Amino acid sequence: MSLPSAGYPHPDETEVNRPFLEGWRRGKLLIQRCADCSMFVFFPRELCPHCWCSDMQWVEAKGTGEVVSHSLVYSHVTEPFVSEAPVVLAEIRLSEGLTMLARVLTDQLPSISSGIQVELVPLPEASRYPLPTFRSRLPNG
Amino acid sequence: MITRDIGIIGYGSAAYHKKPDTSLFGYAGRAARKAIANAGINKKEIDGFCLDGSLGADTSVSAAEYLGLTLSWAHKSTAAGAGTLMSVVNAVRAVEAGLANYVLCIGAGAQDISSFKKRISGFTAAVSNYLAPHGYGGPPGMHAIIQRKHMNAFGTRREQLGRIAVHQRMNAMRNDSALLRSPLTLDDYLNAKMVSDPLRLYDCVLPCSGAEAVVVGPLDRVQKGKGVRVLSARERHNHPLGEVAPIRGGWEVFRDVLFADAGYPQADMDFMQCYDDFPIMAAMQIEDLGFCPKGEIGCFLQENTLTYDGSFPLNTGGGLLSCGQAGGAAGLHGLVEAVRQLRGEGGARQVPDATRGIVSGFGMISYGHGLSASAVIVERA
Repeated sequence: MSLPSAGYPHPDETEVNRPFLEGWRRGKLLIQRCADCSMFVFFPRELCPHCWCSDMQWVEAKGTGEVVSHSLVYSHVTEPFVSEAPVVLAEIRLSEGLTMLARVLTDQLPSISSGIQVELVPLPEASRYPLPTFRSRLPNG
Repeated sequence: MITRDIGIIGYGSAAYHKKPDTSLFGYAGRAARKAIANAGINKKEIDGFCLDGSLGADTSVSAAEYLGLTLSWAHKSTAAGAGTLMSVVNAVRAVEAGLANYVLCIGAGAQDISSFKKRISGFTAAVSNYLAPHGYGGPPGMHAIIQRKHMNAFGTRREQLGRIAVHQRMNAMRNDSALLRSPLTLDDYLNAKMVSDPLRLYDCVLPCSGAEAVVVGPLDRVQKGKGVRVLSARERHNHPLGEVAPIRGGWEVFRDVLFADAGYPQADMDFMQCYDDFPIMAAMQIEDLGFCPKGEIGCFLQENTLTYDGSFPLNTGGGLLSCGQAGGAAGLHGLVEAVRQLRGEGGARQVPDATRGIVSGFGMISYGHGLSASAVIVERA
């Protein structure tokens, strides 16, 4: 059972990003890996930006990483972000090595800093968010 | 190399407004009318046209129809704030190649804060699909990530970056056209309303409406001292490749060749007009163009006064941070101020004996940072 989607803007679902979005609906982070040059790629594309090979395969990422840098976004004009401000937007280096921008949920704002470990928010909470969303990784997690 | 016989022979600005009182074409027309009058040419002589890339569905040709121009050369710039600056160089090359005699280059915007905030969720497909659903906060949300990274890597402090906003405001107080002209202290800057931590209100540019235009043509059409030649120009897109929030930009790639082509080093620049949507971006342009070593911008800012009469005159009209960011006009804003200075028309903010200077561009927010960097070195002709 999924929780209400809370009114967040949603990405357009296309043939290209459907595995990624379907994966997240199951609580997984799926990223692309080029079948030819083996490079990981985010965001989803029809072709590998490294070698232009069009055979992009989907692999499940571990869903862990570390915060490289972040911002606390206070200024919003639309709900639900206005009520949830500040939104933590972070550059996250995944354990697989590639970086992406994603939201980090926390009730301990001062604990968010460069280098902290993060992990995917699990289901059922995950289903509230339209894109893969992270939280601080528990010390023994 | 760029021909030294063709350059900027006229300029014009449409007054900036916090809320638009006309359409984008309305603003463009105001700036264009002033620019051709300033150049002393007739509209019928314009046969080349460069439009900034922000005109939605319109092309440079459909815009030309709207503005009643018949053209032998039509161009539309790319790369947002970095590209409009480079469009002027393309115009010089078009005239040199004989494709046009006089080229009108225009950048315009008709927006206010609320329309801008609606637009930021859809800059590109990558933004609307993979950033907007997170509540990414638009350019401030992204640039806060960049600034924090720069602060962590080099120890850069807000007190240092704040000098950009504060000194540029002093310049703006001498510019009747700047939208923000009330005094700004470092304390005001440091304690302003939080926007995207670590960015506060005076770190963030004010989206507004307005237009800038220049006319490119043979320099002998205007009297000596009223033309501006382009000594060198470079652009770089997607550098560093694949980095989401880099603390360096394409300027570092072309810096050496840019100054070598111009025949003058950094020390011979009488001013710098850079694309200052945020102080951290101005700081990176100063670093990456070699005015100080990478990572040492904090000390550089502390040691220099950035006012029009200071040791490092930066954005002498107040820059985007005090004048406002009028959409596509922002990419020409610094160039028009440079032309004003080189012609000795800077009024109360005139840089003494301004002979040559550098103008740098930045633009094209997509998934992460602004993707494009550009710069030109210009000289009084």
